[in-house]
Formats: sequence, C-alpha cells, structure tokens
Amino acid sequence: MDSFLLEALVNGILLGGVFALPALGLNLVFGVVDVVWLCYAELVMVGMYAVWFLYTQAGWPLWVAFAACLPVVSVLGLLLHLLVVRPLLAAPPINQVLATGGVLFLLQGAMTLIFRTDFRSLGVDMPPMEVGEIFVSGTKLAAFCAALVGAALLWAFLKFTYVGTAIRAIARDREVMPLMGVDPQRIYLIASAVGGALAGLAACLLVVQLDVHPFVGLSFGPITFMICVMGGLGNMLGGFLAAFIMGIIVSVGGFWGTTEFSYVVAFGFFIVTIFARPRGLFAR
Amino acid sequence: MTAFGTTRRGLLGAGAALTIPASVARAQGPARGGDPLRVGVMTDLSGPFAGAGSQPLFWGAEVAIELFNERGGVDGRPVQAVTADSQSKADVAINEMERLLGQERLEVVTGIYSSAHAVPLSGRFEQSRKMMWITSAIATAVLKDKNFRYVFRPTVHSDQYGEGSISAIADNAQAKLGLAPDKVKLGVIYEDGPYGTGVASAIEANAKSRNMPIVLKEAYSSTAPDLSTLVTKLRRERPDIVLQVGYNPDITLFLRQAKSGGLRFKMLIGHGAGWSQIDRLTETFGQDVNFMCNVDPAATQMLDWSKLQPGVGDLAKTFMDRFQAKHKLSDPPTHASMGFNNTWIFLEHVLRPAVRKTGGMTADALREAALQVDVPTGGTIQGYGVKFVPPGNPMAGQNERSIAVVMQFENGKSKVVWPTSLGQPIVMPLPAGNAYAAR
Repeated sequence: MDSFLLEALVNGILLGGVFALPALGLNLVFGVVDVVWLCYAELVMVGMYAVWFLYTQAGWPLWVAFAACLPVVSVLGLLLHLLVVRPLLAAPPINQVLATGGVLFLLQGAMTLIFRTDFRSLGVDMPPMEVGEIFVSGTKLAAFCAALVGAALLWAFLKFTYVGTAIRAIARDREVMPLMGVDPQRIYLIASAVGGALAGLAACLLVVQLDVHPFVGLSFGPITFMICVMGGLGNMLGGFLAAFIMGIIVSVGGFWGTTEFSYVVAFGFFIVTIFARPRGLFAR
Repeated sequence: MTAFGTTRRGLLGAGAALTIPASVARAQGPARGGDPLRVGVMTDLSGPFAGAGSQPLFWGAEVAIELFNERGGVDGRPVQAVTADSQSKADVAINEMERLLGQERLEVVTGIYSSAHAVPLSGRFEQSRKMMWITSAIATAVLKDKNFRYVFRPTVHSDQYGEGSISAIADNAQAKLGLAPDKVKLGVIYEDGPYGTGVASAIEANAKSRNMPIVLKEAYSSTAPDLSTLVTKLRRERPDIVLQVGYNPDITLFLRQAKSGGLRFKMLIGHGAGWSQIDRLTETFGQDVNFMCNVDPAATQMLDWSKLQPGVGDLAKTFMDRFQAKHKLSDPPTHASMGFNNTWIFLEHVLRPAVRKTGGMTADALREAALQVDVPTGGTIQGYGVKFVPPGNPMAGQNERSIAVVMQFENGKSKVVWPTSLGQPIVMPLPAGNAYAAR
C-alpha cells in the first residue's frame, strides 16, 4: 500500500478517536434522558478554557489541570440538567432542543465576555512518531489512546456497576423501569454528570490539538451530531463505531480527492445511511 | 479576570465605545458645534473573525474617530459612530446592514472585515445607493466587473497579494535558493471563501505567468477540525514553498499538524488575515514562525515615517502611541493600521470635503468627494496614496494606489522584504534550526 495512503488511513483512525468521545457522551445523555444537548460542543469548549486557564494562567501542572477539568464540566452537565433540562422534561422535544440551543449561545457569549475572542493555546506539543515513511502525531496518538481508555472505563461502568445497569435499563425502557424501583430522576442526574465528564475528557484531548476560542465548537460540534445520528441516537456502541467510519472517510476521502470533497463524501454517506437505515447504521 | 486585559464591564463598554466619542469629544475637544455626523462601523467583534484581525480593525477605527473628533471633527461637528457586530456570519452582516441603512438611516457604513460578507453586502449597498467604505475585505471579486458606484475600497485587493508573494519568490529564487524561478515548486492551500479563493487564483495566475509549477492547490474550510490529510499530500508533493491563505484557527491547526506530520519546506508565505496576527502566532509557536512571511499592506510601524508626506509621520506616531496605550500589543497587527488608516482617509479626505461642500453627508455627496480624492504615495500612514478607479472601469471603486508588501517575521516583529526597493533582504530558505526547515 502507498505509504502516504496508509498515513491517511492512520490519521483517519486517530481522528475517529477524537470524535468518538463527544459522540459517546452525547449518546449517553440522549439514550437515558431522551433530550439532545445541542450545547454539547460548548461544554467541551468550556472544559478547554478550564484547562487553558489552570495550566497557563494559574500555573497548575498540566495533568492536574486535566484532572480538574473533568469534575468542572461534570458539574456543568449537572447544572444543565437541573436548571434547563429537568423543567422541560415533559415539554415538546422542540422546546428542549431550543432551550439547550439557547445554552449554546449563552456559553459562547459568556466565554467571549470573560476571555474575549482571542485564540488561546496551551503551547504543548509532543514529538511525532516516525515509522518508515509514515509520520504519526504524538499528540493525536496520545489523545486516541486516552479516548479508548475513557470509552473502556465507561463500558465497564455501565456493564459492571449497579448504577450502570440502571442507566442501561432506563435507556432501554423509560416507562417500565420506575415501576421496578429505579428512580429515573437520580439516573438522569448521574447520566448528565457522566455525560459532562466525557465532555471534560474530550476537552482535555482537544485542547492539545486545537486553539481555544469561544466558537471552537463549530469545528467538531456539527460532525459529532452527525456521527451520533449515523450510529443511532442513543446507541453508544453505534456512535463509537460511526466516529471511526467518519474519521476514515474524511481522511482517506481527502487523500484521494480534496479536503472539501472528503466532506461531500462524508455527508453523502450520512444521507444514504439515514435513508437506508433511518434509526442509524448500527440500530438493532 | 483582568489578567487577560478584559473585564465584563470593559467588554460591554467596547461595543458602545464608538458611540461615545461624540459626547466625549464635546466634553474634551474642540468639536463643539452642530449635529453629529453619523457613520456606520461594521466589524466582527465576536465569532472566529474577531480573533483573526477584525477586533484590531475595530480598535484602529475607534482611535481614528476619537482623534478626528479631538481635532475638531468637521468644523465643530463631531463624528458619531453607529457600530454593528456582524458576528463572523454573513446573514448577521446582512441584517445589520438593513438595520444601519433602514432604522438608523445612515448614508455610509465603513469597516467590513470579511470578503465573505463584502460580496453579498456590496450589491445591496449599490441597490440602496448608500456608500460602503471597505476597510479590510480584500477579495478582488467584490468589485471586479461590477461597475459599482457607491462601493469604495481604499485598501489592497487580492490580486495584489498573489503578485506580492510570487514576485518575492521569483525575485529571490536564484540568489537565495539556487533555483531558477520556473524550478521552484509551489504548494497553495487556502480557505474556501471569497477571500481564500480570490488570493489563490491570483497566486495561480502570477505563477503561471512566470512558469512556476504549482504541485498542489487545494481549498479547505476554515472551520475544518483536521488538516492532517492535506499535510500528508503536501509532503507527498514536496513543494519548495507553501503559500497559505487562511484565517486563524485553520492557520494554527495547519502549522501544528504540519510540524507533527513531518512537513518541511524552504519558505512559508501567508496572505493576511490570520497571518497578520504575529503576536498571536508568536505566542502559540514561539521561534517556530521566525522567518516565515506574510503579504499585506504594511503596518505603519514597519515604515520609515520620515519618508512619508509631511505630517503623516506625526499622525502615524500619534496613532501608535494611542493604540499601544490602550491595547498592549508588542507589534500591533496590520489590521490595526488598516482600521485607523482607511477610516482616517474617509474622515479626512471624503467626509470633511463633502460636508463642507454640501452642508450634509448624503451618499451622493460622499461619493462625489471620494472620486475627487488624490493623495500621493506616502500620503497615508500605510505608505500608499489614494486615487479611486472611476466608474466604467473593471475595478471601479478600488484604490489604484494601494500597495501590498511582503513582510518577514523575526522574534515577534515584522520587517518589509518586498518590494525589494522598500525592504530589507529576505532570509530564505528558512534557517536550518527552524522546526519547519527543509533538511
């Protein structure tokens, strides 16, 4: 295989790893609470600012800043649920979408007020790995590994803990589980906190790759939603796999054609998927 | 939160700042008599464009209006700016234009950072017979073959960017690279809006006229989350020189991924917008951006003020003192000079004579005055003169005396390296110690 094509393929897989975490978090929340957090990418953006601030302004070690980012965004997820989503749980879905969309603009505006519109950078870089003629970004590889670990931990939590089992049960049948003694409000809170923590982890991975600014969510937010729908909204494994498919399409499509063409292919694939399998590529 | 130079109150105040100078001027300066002269100022104070030059563009205009009012305005009538934030979105820009022309009943709107906004806005201004005074958006397509009568652009246009970068390479290829110009391989990557495509087309046309091979020419979205495949393709094609046209998130993303992706070259030349924000680039990449180049109109601090027309050097100094007192930037970006200079040209050479001649400031009076402007080279703080191409010509409304230069970065400062007659010798190829230098 052409070494440059192989490099594009590897880049696609690494890119998929970056998309996978926010897709997991978004799907977890939707699967359990049945509400789309339209502002999910903006939660990630707030997390990126948290890391940037703690590391470059407060002088904390980077790993401590990363560790602090997760609870910060997790609490943000909790607040989002308590203040915005819970009062609207019985409202029509469009109201819920508009409300979380409003939070999107609120967070963008708040970060603009606090941090201005400047592009902020951690200034952290890892040396690339050179394997034969292939270059692999050390930063992207580390982010990819962290994404896999995060996904594995989430899987273990959902599979092997009582709360995780309750979350999966609620995701499967929201009506019946309360009759069996599961408190849905508590599960919603936990799912929102875990969804927020996943956004925090995604923030840690993205902040070393992208500059932080109030509108950075535009770079990965739309494609994350597309991935979730393609994998099946609420289907965590589906979203996880769809992230890699999308990463590879974007990367290899860009190699064979142009960068713009790759997104045409990706969106074309998405449309065909939705027509062929309206509930998502991996819907059971 | 003052650590980043911003307080909530301060930022809220910034949006209203340009509406204040009139009242401030009444209190402080000699501009005392008569109704204020209301002028629109539309820039992107939020969204990605704000950090890619639109914010300093606004700040520059802010200083120009404050200074103009302090100096008496137009026979005592102060200028009152009516501001609009187009939020880096074309639809918002159109809505704001409707507000400025409809509700505010303005006769002229200055500013306009992005060509993606200038293209749709220009036709609407022309239809409305109101003046559009573009201080930043550079796409040639905004004016080319449109024969607009109410749209004026004192700054450079995108064809000049292509001419600047390709000429700088061709002029130095043999001496610096040991290559005949037609042997220098070029890679052109650009954001896919009117700005990027306009400059890339100009680069291609200029390269073709000199038989310089372009081994890759590719567009991308400025909000793309990943450019590593583009890096891979550039590495495959091995260009000697990479020419990029981009805003800011895409430029930093590309540089970061180019470094980790093993892309090396002999020179990288940017073309304005994000590449003009040398403070930010240096903050992010440190010495790695040393000796890379950028094409743009010259920021005033790059020029020898003593060689400008009488009095212009003093104006440049006043501007720099005020700007740096307000905004602590080691090397204010070109957009700051553009904001001040092109607004000042309007106030001094268009608004003042129009008001004096007609007693008012209708778009038609302003247009007549604009067509009479005749400022010689060296007559503005960016070094160029002003003479607008009259209607009936392919580039009607364009300042035919505008000049783009090629500048080179060194330790967070920029110096002019082209035209050769104005600048210092270019450092090319990138020195061996540079992280991107071809080995």
